[in-house]
Amino acid sequence: MMLLRRLPTFAAFAALTAFTFAGPSWATDKDVLVIDKAEDPPTADPGVEVSNNGYTLIFPAYERLVKYDGAKTEVIPELAESWTTAPDNLSWTFKLASGHMFDDGSPVDAAAVKYSFDRVKKLAAGPGDMFPTVKDVVVVDPQTVKFELSAPFAPFLSALATSAGSIINPKAQEHAVNGDDAKAWLAEHSAGSGAFKISAWERNQQITLDPNPHYAGKAPAFKQVIFKIVREMSSRRLQLENGDADLIDQVPVDQAEAMKSSAGVVIESNPSLYVVYLYLNNKKAPFDNPKVRQAISYAADYKGLVDGVMQGQAEQMRGAVPDGMWGHDPQGMQYSYDLEKAKQLLADAGVSNLHISFTYSQADSAWEPVGLALQASLAEIGVTMDMKNVADTTKRELVAKGDYDIATGAWTPDFADPFMFMNIWFDPTKMGAPGNRAFYENPKVTDLITQALATVDQKKREQLYIDAQKITNEDAPYVLLFQKNDIFAMRSSVKGYVYNPMLIQVYNIADMSKSE
Amino acid sequence: MAADGIATSPRPASRLRMGRLWYRVKGSPLTLIGTAIALLVLFVIMAAPLLAPYPPDKISLSARLAAPSLQHLFGTDEVGRDLFSRVLFGARASCGIAFAIVIISTVIGSIIGCLSGVVGGIVDTAIMRLMDVFLALPALILAMALAAALGPSLFNAMLAVAVVRVPAYVRLARGQTLSLRNRTYVKASRSFGASPAYMLRWHILPNALSPIIVQATLDLGGTILTAAALSFIGLGAQPPTSEWGSMVSSGRNYFLDQWWYVTFPGLAILISAMGFNLLGDGLRDMLDPRLGGR
Repeated sequence: MMLLRRLPTFAAFAALTAFTFAGPSWATDKDVLVIDKAEDPPTADPGVEVSNNGYTLIFPAYERLVKYDGAKTEVIPELAESWTTAPDNLSWTFKLASGHMFDDGSPVDAAAVKYSFDRVKKLAAGPGDMFPTVKDVVVVDPQTVKFELSAPFAPFLSALATSAGSIINPKAQEHAVNGDDAKAWLAEHSAGSGAFKISAWERNQQITLDPNPHYAGKAPAFKQVIFKIVREMSSRRLQLENGDADLIDQVPVDQAEAMKSSAGVVIESNPSLYVVYLYLNNKKAPFDNPKVRQAISYAADYKGLVDGVMQGQAEQMRGAVPDGMWGHDPQGMQYSYDLEKAKQLLADAGVSNLHISFTYSQADSAWEPVGLALQASLAEIGVTMDMKNVADTTKRELVAKGDYDIATGAWTPDFADPFMFMNIWFDPTKMGAPGNRAFYENPKVTDLITQALATVDQKKREQLYIDAQKITNEDAPYVLLFQKNDIFAMRSSVKGYVYNPMLIQVYNIADMSKSE
Repeated sequence: MAADGIATSPRPASRLRMGRLWYRVKGSPLTLIGTAIALLVLFVIMAAPLLAPYPPDKISLSARLAAPSLQHLFGTDEVGRDLFSRVLFGARASCGIAFAIVIISTVIGSIIGCLSGVVGGIVDTAIMRLMDVFLALPALILAMALAAALGPSLFNAMLAVAVVRVPAYVRLARGQTLSLRNRTYVKASRSFGASPAYMLRWHILPNALSPIIVQATLDLGGTILTAAALSFIGLGAQPPTSEWGSMVSSGRNYFLDQWWYVTFPGLAILISAMGFNLLGDGLRDMLDPRLGGR
């Protein structure tokens, strides 16, 4: 009797203890990797996704014709074993390596390559901008594929190594509904030949990757990789410090400093081409006046932001192309914090009693302090700025529609070519979501960047891009704030991570392992 | 009900009550503490510009997240603003808004409630069913929905919370009215031909007031919490306005290393909400004749 009455209590207690202890133990398992992400990736569809948050899933799930060589920005073969290019740079022929298979066991062939590139082009959703001059993809034989270009595109080979160049299993087309080219299905599933495949996705909760049994490379060390969506930085940090997570992304610079002292935690802080900047809505008064835009550029406290908010682990931008990439102009013009000048420019422009808004989200921890500092500076020169804190998806929508005054931005290149900045930020055909988020148009700039795109000689291209930057610096469509280190944290037991500045938020989980 | 035995006629009784009130407050230490806190909050609201060592919105990027020191008593936040000054000024937003909410909802609620009780009939039924609808939803959820619909700002948050608080006062005032309506002096004045408006002004409202005031004081604490909650989730005060709820909200990203950022605004919410609750509790005990004026 006694025992029977106590049984439920005991069972509950036992279940509770089992649960509590079972919880953390998966993270300490040697063959399970747990990664805490700050935001749920929008999609995992290579034909649609343009955020690094989505690349986290796309890179391990798919293979591309070529890939970045470890930490370097040069490419080496992945699916392609060799390639040739015609002297006029208008056609590229790739010979596919044999033995690569999709996660359903079917081989990766030339038809799959054609399917993938045709799909990216047809969807025209942003990734298509990576291959602006690809005219046609031709299947020569099952192991050979030929790309025909309408104009030479200098960074073509690098572009193939991006998320947009991922090769998708044509069988994914079976999941197409209402002619969406399987967009809905591929958003949360994978159909690639990479080391892992997406096996479960609970929105805003967690994503589970399992190894692809048909993967051609060395079998990965992990039997499972779990991505947990943990919005609060404090929670991510506690989970890492307690060993419930092996790796956490989006670590603000000040927390990174404090975390260095906790046992078993390693901070990865790498110089990157990650830039933080502000979009000014050039289509909308008063920002259609370059003088007003310049005034805002003079009202940002660059030094205070770099030394204070970023604790010196950032540097002020000098032109759109960041330091460390060719095309950067070391003599370029830089705006300084000069409220007198800003005031004068506003007076010259003939505007007074400005009332503007600042749209931002919490996706980057620097955005709010940047806004608060700008708000205080602008208040001194008689400009009222309201801060609009919205969800990150809402911010993206508002920016895409041009429904904002000032909005926050962050950008990181997918391949090492100034194209990633100049031809995307300033091209009037890419207004809104694709990249020209300031809705900027200057025919002289358009001309220079179009010319640079069609030129093959790197020296000439560099000069064209530098010339274009001279104009854009003057026009100030964006407020160019700073470029910063890429910072995340992991347990010291996690081995084998290789940082590549083109692959921010992409972890090479197929080559990583855990030592304990 | 609560006025039983004390209020035979409206005016002299209220003076009498005030005298007794102070006598009883002295005997209850918790009420004294509550009163002291309430007075302190009132003082801070009025004297914030004199007490604060820095302007609350003064940014100093080089002195960000500084620990409490003599220079910055409560430390600084992520853009180097002095938290002590912000907590002081925050009293204006957080408690000021709570006062405004309580006053708005009390006035509107008691007028509607008394009217409903005096007029009666279908109007009464319609008003009460409408109030039941409001009461059927959890107050914070309803306030969130209203604030989100109106757009995030301190003023809209205030309106939303005030609307949500109205039904409680309507019910209270109506209950009072129904019992007062049958008093001899009310019946007498009606038999002399007094209009409903006259009765409301001279007989019903003054006598229904004391339970309503108690309810209002009790509500202050809860209202401070609700207003802070709305600001915490971003529907209330907008930057750079200093408000305790939004300060806790932005401070939570830093609480592992910079404990002071969330602690002081949090304490301010805790102490002021507790103070008003103690005061309200004490007032209720004293004004409730059934408890024998304990």
